[in-house]
Amino acid sequence: MSGIPLRFGPLASDGYTIVRSGLRWLRESGQFCRAGQPIAYCNVSLEPASVRVGRHHAVADELELQVVFAPRVSGRLTIHPEMTRGGYLSIRGVDAWKADTVLGHIEPDQPADESDQGRLRLLVVAGRRMTALADVHSGLLPGWNGRSRGWWCEEGETPVTLLSLGLCDTTGVILGEQCAFLEMFEAASDAMQFVFIPDHPVAPCAPVLLDQLTRTPAQFDALAEDLRRFLGTSTVLPTADDWMFAGALLSVLRNTPLKDNYNIISSTGTRRLGPADGVLLSLSAEPQSILRHRVLGYHLHIMRHHQAAAGPAIQAWLASAFEPIKRSIDTVRRDYEKLIDTLARTTGGRILVLNRMSTSGYEDISSYVAFDAPMSATLSNIAAKEQNLMLHDIAETRELTIIDVDALAAELGAGQHLPDGIHQSGQMQILLRRQILQAMADIRATAPNVRIAGRDH
Amino acid sequence: MLYEFKLPVIVPQMSGATIECLYGARDDSLRLGSKLMDLSVDLSSAFAQECPPVSFYRLVLRETVYLRKIDVVPGQHCALGDRIALFSTDPSEPIDQETTRQVRCTIAGIIHHDGMWTGSHS
Repeated sequence: MSGIPLRFGPLASDGYTIVRSGLRWLRESGQFCRAGQPIAYCNVSLEPASVRVGRHHAVADELELQVVFAPRVSGRLTIHPEMTRGGYLSIRGVDAWKADTVLGHIEPDQPADESDQGRLRLLVVAGRRMTALADVHSGLLPGWNGRSRGWWCEEGETPVTLLSLGLCDTTGVILGEQCAFLEMFEAASDAMQFVFIPDHPVAPCAPVLLDQLTRTPAQFDALAEDLRRFLGTSTVLPTADDWMFAGALLSVLRNTPLKDNYNIISSTGTRRLGPADGVLLSLSAEPQSILRHRVLGYHLHIMRHHQAAAGPAIQAWLASAFEPIKRSIDTVRRDYEKLIDTLARTTGGRILVLNRMSTSGYEDISSYVAFDAPMSATLSNIAAKEQNLMLHDIAETRELTIIDVDALAAELGAGQHLPDGIHQSGQMQILLRRQILQAMADIRATAPNVRIAGRDH
Repeated sequence: MLYEFKLPVIVPQMSGATIECLYGARDDSLRLGSKLMDLSVDLSSAFAQECPPVSFYRLVLRETVYLRKIDVVPGQHCALGDRIALFSTDPSEPIDQETTRQVRCTIAGIIHHDGMWTGSHS
């Protein structure tokens, strides 16, 4: 067979043997593939290498663990079909990981300067399920994950970590079309880790994140008890939807993703990374009105379409136990500044924010007389402009990276690429990824000390 | 003269809109700059999304007219081109005649508010 054999390369976890499933293909024989383009993946599990190590390995709380393979050079691909075991053997771990396993060949289309062209790039993805019941076997990072992450690094490299806490405007950019970080992996050859937290059921606005940063275990116990008591005594009988919503809510509120440390498996074994170096937020997540618990004081922001997933008892709890608090633009600014300062002091992490689209080619306002002051309380584009300017005011005194969705959409044409102001086209996502990767490269270059591994907070 | 308001294309991908709230009633005299109604446009059918891409809009009149007929209620979904309201320049003008044109109005993107049907009924 002609071409360069494509080898797995080393992957190790200290004290554990890595066992893998048969491969599932993302590309077929005869197809051209780009350097870094994922071509296959498998599930992996970690099995104790001796009786002296326990089951609590490096990624024990992440039940979804997969490895994605990509060639280092572009060219025509030939796969080894026998690497597909089929059925449950392509789901369950059936073979020990061997660095010299060959999954196929590639005929490079141009000379490459890679020293080891046949060694595959590895993207490891891990998902922490929102509930262990969400054991779905299809595809990459399947099921309902409360936290997903993907990382890649070569020997001697330490990944820089970006934690994504936004809405839909960050989701597609970070996770990509197959929701497994594939586009980011292909776009970035430097060692990186991306962590994604979905916005259900709690949207990650600044007051919610500040509460998470400062919440004590006793405070969490108190809010959990408050919810249990309401559901146990309410005249509105809880439905299955209520219980599932309550479980998801408590699962989210007990976590503090901004402080998470991360274990990774790599070619040189298990490594521990500190909290995220960069945290990507969405300005669109900042509401003008937020719920505050009348007694316990914590904040909730649940998007309307997620509130619809709750049953009648949770709806009654939200209506009676919480009060809506109006937030002016100055309030949003203070919350952002407090979050930036607290995060810098606590973990050293820096904030990146996707700003808001602030113009529309479909509007034809010829006079603003009809709209009451302050117009930012009514007109969404004026509110977006004021919020975008607020970010620049913050950036004058603090470390804040603005990912300029507004300018990019205006340049590309929002009608085609951002029709509702939130959900971008594929082309726009590619350009936003570049901006984010540049921002992370800047963080890597200017603040290497934030990547201290093994810091506990 | 009779004018009408038929649901226009606000964004190209839309197929209809939901009436969120009404600011005028039948036979009201509406001056230039009067609010007529708020609408929401849901692009879910055009874009497969995990969350609904819903935008809200306000219609503001750009001429003085009498509202003679309004055929919708909050929560009602209207298709593109549906006639939603009928106006006249004279309060007693018979309305069983051909309309002259679409009433002149401004459409502005707005923020969701508590008076809307969405959020209080859905």
